[in-house]
Amino acid sequence: MSSDLFNLLERLVNAGVDFVIIGGFADVVHGCTYVTQDIGICCDFKPATMLALQKAISDLHPVHRMTPGRKKLELTEQTCGQFKNLYLDTDIGQLDCLSFIDGLGDYGEVRRESELIEVEEIKMRVLSVDALIKTKKSMNRLRDKEAVLQLEAIKKLREPKQDIL
Amino acid sequence: MPKSKYLKAAEIQAAVDYGIDISMLIANIGRSYSERIKRHQIALNTAEKLKGARRL
Repeated sequence: MSSDLFNLLERLVNAGVDFVIIGGFADVVHGCTYVTQDIGICCDFKPATMLALQKAISDLHPVHRMTPGRKKLELTEQTCGQFKNLYLDTDIGQLDCLSFIDGLGDYGEVRRESELIEVEEIKMRVLSVDALIKTKKSMNRLRDKEAVLQLEAIKKLREPKQDIL
Repeated sequence: MPKSKYLKAAEIQAAVDYGIDISMLIANIGRSYSERIKRHQIALNTAEKLKGARRL
């Protein structure tokens, strides 16, 4: 895995950015079957974290994908505080960084609701199945209906020695 | 897999009723995190390639 979505996460881990994988990619990590084109993370938006994140992906030409003209990502210690979320596009995929998640709270809460996983000897945090269900239910978006159903089924299927099949 | 047993859990039945292929979920659960991510990337790459397809 190099030039792909996982590479974005690998870069963040190597740069020492503390984050939790959220959203559709977290669903995929837990076993959901659909395909997502972006990676969502929740992290602490303190300047040190944001500047480390920026440095980690700087060679991937990151831009704010939701701004007119797709402005370059050019954070400074002074401007970091202006953002609560970053919706970025890079050469190898989209990266959404959120400081708060509906139904859960800020990064501290999100981290508490996460679990540590290891992928190719890289340790990272992913939002738990229960927390994903909780936040998707709280947002009540139509597009999350299938995700919730898949996650609830996965939760059931993971239960040990249940006579469910 | 006998159908009567398959239908026991409400969560599973709800997913089946929605049209979700439970066998794919079961297969994914049996895979490692790395394998799930790898297979997702393969699917994504394929979808990206198909986006560039043109009618002949």
